[in-house]
Amino acid sequence: MLSLQHLSKYYQAGGNKTFVLNDLSLDVDEGEFVSIMGPSGSGKSTLLNIIGLLDEPSEGYHYFAGEAVHLLKEKQRSAMSRGYMGYVFQAYHLIDELTVYENIETPLIYQNIKGSERKALVADILDRFNIVGKKDLFPSQLSGGQQQLVGIARALIAKPKLLLADEPTGNLNSKQGDEIMELFLKLNREDGVTIIQVTHSEKNAEYGNRIINLLDGKIESSRVLNHQ
Amino acid sequence: MFRNYLKIAWRNLMRHKGYSAINIAGLTVGIAACLLIYIVVQYETSFNKQNKNYRNIYHIVTQSVQGNDVSYTPGITVPAVPALRTDLPEATIAAMDVSYGSQITIPAGSGHADKKFIEHSGVVFIEPQYFDLFDSEWIAGNKAVLAEPNMVVIDKSTAIKYFGDWQHAEGKFLKMDNLIDLKIAGVIEDVVSNSDFPFKVLVSYVTLKNYPNNYNYSDEWGSNSSNHQVMLLMPPGESIESVNARLKVFSKKHYTFDIRGTFNFLQPLSDLHFDTRFGNTTGDHITSKATLFTLSFIGVLIIIMASINFINLTTAQSVGRSKEVGIRKVLGSSRKQLVFQLLGETTMIVVTSGFLALIVAKLALPYLENISSVPKTMGLLSAGSVLFLISTLISVVVLSGIYPALILSGFKPVLAIKNKITAASIGGVPLRRGLVVAQFAISQLLIIGTLVALNQMNFVNSADLGFNSSAVLVIPGYTDSLSLQKMGQFKQQQLQKPQVKSVSFISDAPSSDNNWASNFYFDQAPDDVDFTVFLKAGDADYFKTFGLQFVAGGGYAPSDTINQMVVNETLIKKLGIKNPKAALGKTLRIGGRGVWAPIVGVVKDFKTNSLREEVKPIIIAPGKRVLSLAAIKIQTGSLTQTVAEIQKLWEKTYPEYAYNGYFVDERIAQFYKQENQLALIYKLFAGVAIFISCLGLYGLVSFMAVQRTKEVGIRKVLGASVGSIVYLFSKEFLILLSISFLIAMPIGWYMMNGWLQSFVYRIDLGAGVFLAAILLSVFIAGLTFGYKAITTALVNPIKSLRSE
Ligand SMILES: Nc1ncnc2c1ncn2[C@@H]1O[C@H](COP(=O)(O)OP(=O)(O)O)[C@@H](O)[C@H]1O
Ligand SMILES: [Mg+2]
Repeated sequence: MLSLQHLSKYYQAGGNKTFVLNDLSLDVDEGEFVSIMGPSGSGKSTLLNIIGLLDEPSEGYHYFAGEAVHLLKEKQRSAMSRGYMGYVFQAYHLIDELTVYENIETPLIYQNIKGSERKALVADILDRFNIVGKKDLFPSQLSGGQQQLVGIARALIAKPKLLLADEPTGNLNSKQGDEIMELFLKLNREDGVTIIQVTHSEKNAEYGNRIINLLDGKIESSRVLNHQ
Repeated sequence: MFRNYLKIAWRNLMRHKGYSAINIAGLTVGIAACLLIYIVVQYETSFNKQNKNYRNIYHIVTQSVQGNDVSYTPGITVPAVPALRTDLPEATIAAMDVSYGSQITIPAGSGHADKKFIEHSGVVFIEPQYFDLFDSEWIAGNKAVLAEPNMVVIDKSTAIKYFGDWQHAEGKFLKMDNLIDLKIAGVIEDVVSNSDFPFKVLVSYVTLKNYPNNYNYSDEWGSNSSNHQVMLLMPPGESIESVNARLKVFSKKHYTFDIRGTFNFLQPLSDLHFDTRFGNTTGDHITSKATLFTLSFIGVLIIIMASINFINLTTAQSVGRSKEVGIRKVLGSSRKQLVFQLLGETTMIVVTSGFLALIVAKLALPYLENISSVPKTMGLLSAGSVLFLISTLISVVVLSGIYPALILSGFKPVLAIKNKITAASIGGVPLRRGLVVAQFAISQLLIIGTLVALNQMNFVNSADLGFNSSAVLVIPGYTDSLSLQKMGQFKQQQLQKPQVKSVSFISDAPSSDNNWASNFYFDQAPDDVDFTVFLKAGDADYFKTFGLQFVAGGGYAPSDTINQMVVNETLIKKLGIKNPKAALGKTLRIGGRGVWAPIVGVVKDFKTNSLREEVKPIIIAPGKRVLSLAAIKIQTGSLTQTVAEIQKLWEKTYPEYAYNGYFVDERIAQFYKQENQLALIYKLFAGVAIFISCLGLYGLVSFMAVQRTKEVGIRKVLGASVGSIVYLFSKEFLILLSISFLIAMPIGWYMMNGWLQSFVYRIDLGAGVFLAAILLSVFIAGLTFGYKAITTALVNPIKSLRSE
């Protein structure tokens, strides 16, 4: 579903280019669960943002769901990201002024989904994530794990094809982290959501079916895992 | 989606209560001020427009050029009326003679004694043609009744005042000035307040012919009274230039025999309310276009200031909102949607302020009459004011909302989420500095305006007029033969009171807004002198009563007719006489039919009119026939009691008249009503502007303080003193303040220098005013941000660093 070919991202710093991603090529198929690892500063987040259409590469070819993304205009790309992507962040990034319910509802509003339908969808996901009781609370009233649950619920509400998660467990303790990973696994296996996550934890990385190691903007190694 | 926006907007407002309150307070005051200004300007510009002939009605006025002197009067001579009818046959012409104070007596009837009313305005002798020009609603009678002598038409509320109801007024009688019996032949609806023709007692013009002496009615071409005025209706399509050209020919033909350079020309009705050359004409007041412009300008400045506050605070706050904006973009919001959301928030604040402003304006409206001529009964809501309010709100939303919305919605989501947006990176810093400079400049401009206006008015109010105006009571009386007979007796009786120092019968106080002008002849010459002289008549005690000082000779002996004269220094200077003594014994003759009389004294110049005008050449002469005022100099002290005693005696002496006394100095203060109002307006709106800019400054400093808490903490750990940190905060503001002063000073100088030109006698526009203005604004700004800067500097550094 996703193909990056000879992708580079660099910043101009006083005459010479600093490469963050350097001639990187990567293919991800529908239904995969890919974990990206690598030292800090190796370009993981940049790669994820480019895949998520939040950032643009400096050079290279980028195909997504059969479209040549590098040829698309800003508007078309943002329409595409709205239809296909869900994002989960390390720092949750909930809107502080909105309740749990309203945070989850927001992406539906931007997709012009009718009120009644939105209600049903949000109720459904609240139920699934077991956070019905928290729906009127504000983010500051939740623990980190609960906030991340809301973040994931929000990412999934619009039924994305691709879930992008940048260190989703980075701010959580290991028990909370395990729960999130179990949830990802279930989403991947049962609902067929394609997932690409960035993580520092070998253990969490192994939930995926493939682990990619980044170093200095290049894929250093890639290994396929065989789960039962 | 809309609900969601509103919700967010509301929660944002509540989360930043302090900033929201500042924004709303500033806008509320600003919008309310503008709304009130609009009501004043709208009221003043609506004058006379209610007449359907508005575009085609003109006032014929007179210009006299004598050497370098150009003078204007709204008056026109009596014989010009029939002559104009002959020479401008297609025009409808209506002559009128305005009375600036008449007594109306309702003769004793069943159950009541004589009822006496003093009418200071609205009494006029008028031709029936007036109603061909101006719209009027007749309740009883019609305009034809005014073709006959001794007929009067009154308006509804006057009818109610005189008779208790208007239904039975027609056919009743009243007496004007204890002289003329008038029959009420018609009743009309009240004239609206925004008319310069607020007539309520309209006497037929032909009546005037029978009482020429009492109303200075003269059929000479050389005699022109400003009370005698002519209105004219031209058929549509006639150009004002061509009529003026014909009036020039008309003037050349008729003003031949002793007045030089006198021309009639048309003043369109649409100019009448704003033309200060003619002073007050038939209405309550006139307003110069410059005043209205100043007022509107101040309104615009105030709205700009309130909008600037908004922009400053919102862009400063936008740093804090970048995360939300970033997340929304990631979640699929388009830029357009974000702009709408943010504008929605602005709209909410602005609309809230709009409603509050309506309340504030409603509460302030009754006080508007103190700074303007808007009547107390004026309503706040009209189609015009609602439209104005809505368009103001829209422009404020656009002015203050668009820029922050564009800035915020333009954030790159990745950067915004990472909190990499700083005040510097949104590029708003120079803009914000510019806006603060603009705000400072506006307040300083208004401070300069206030200081200059107050100084000048203070100067005017305490100026040496060259005579003693304090504690002189003036009682208007009448010049019928019976009243004139009682003069001596009245004077003797008053003088018996120890508190009464002096009594004089006069035609006019030394300083007044009356101008009784005439041509005159000097030293037996056959031709008249080429400038106009102004006349004041008084008995021999005039000089003592007003404390006038002589530079040569002295006062004249008591006399009932003009046999001796006193002149002022200006007159002899204009005649080319250097030594006042040389003027003594020379003869003068007033007008073509006057008698020659010698000059017996020259008085030191005193201010003959308001300080707007030069001292005029003056002749003071006896002449019992025109002495309608009694001037009484009272010992200061028990003034009220003495005045009461004087009034009692006056009423006993003249039982048929109503008492109507006033103090000369109070009347003089009235000359400057408009200027005093303007000074008050400056003071008020400078206050508003300062309030708004203080709010903005305070908000901005609070914001800076929050932003820089960490920096301040680090600096203190490194050993910075409180003083150096306060300096860090103040330095920038002091620089901005100085820049704004450099902008405000020349503009303020230009504006106020222009205003001062309307006074012949005025203060010097020195450096003092400007120095005071900048010191004042530094002081106010210092007060506003000093507290915040000091508290920030005093915060324990460990606290501020830990919170990071
Ligand atoms: N706007 C930018 N300008 C210059 N360098 C940047 C910019 N954004 C990111 N970088 C650099 O790109 C590199 C990769 O960043 P990132 O993708 O966030 O790494 P990771 O997520 O692997 O820690 C870092 O060295 C960072 O300094
Ligand atoms: Mg990263």
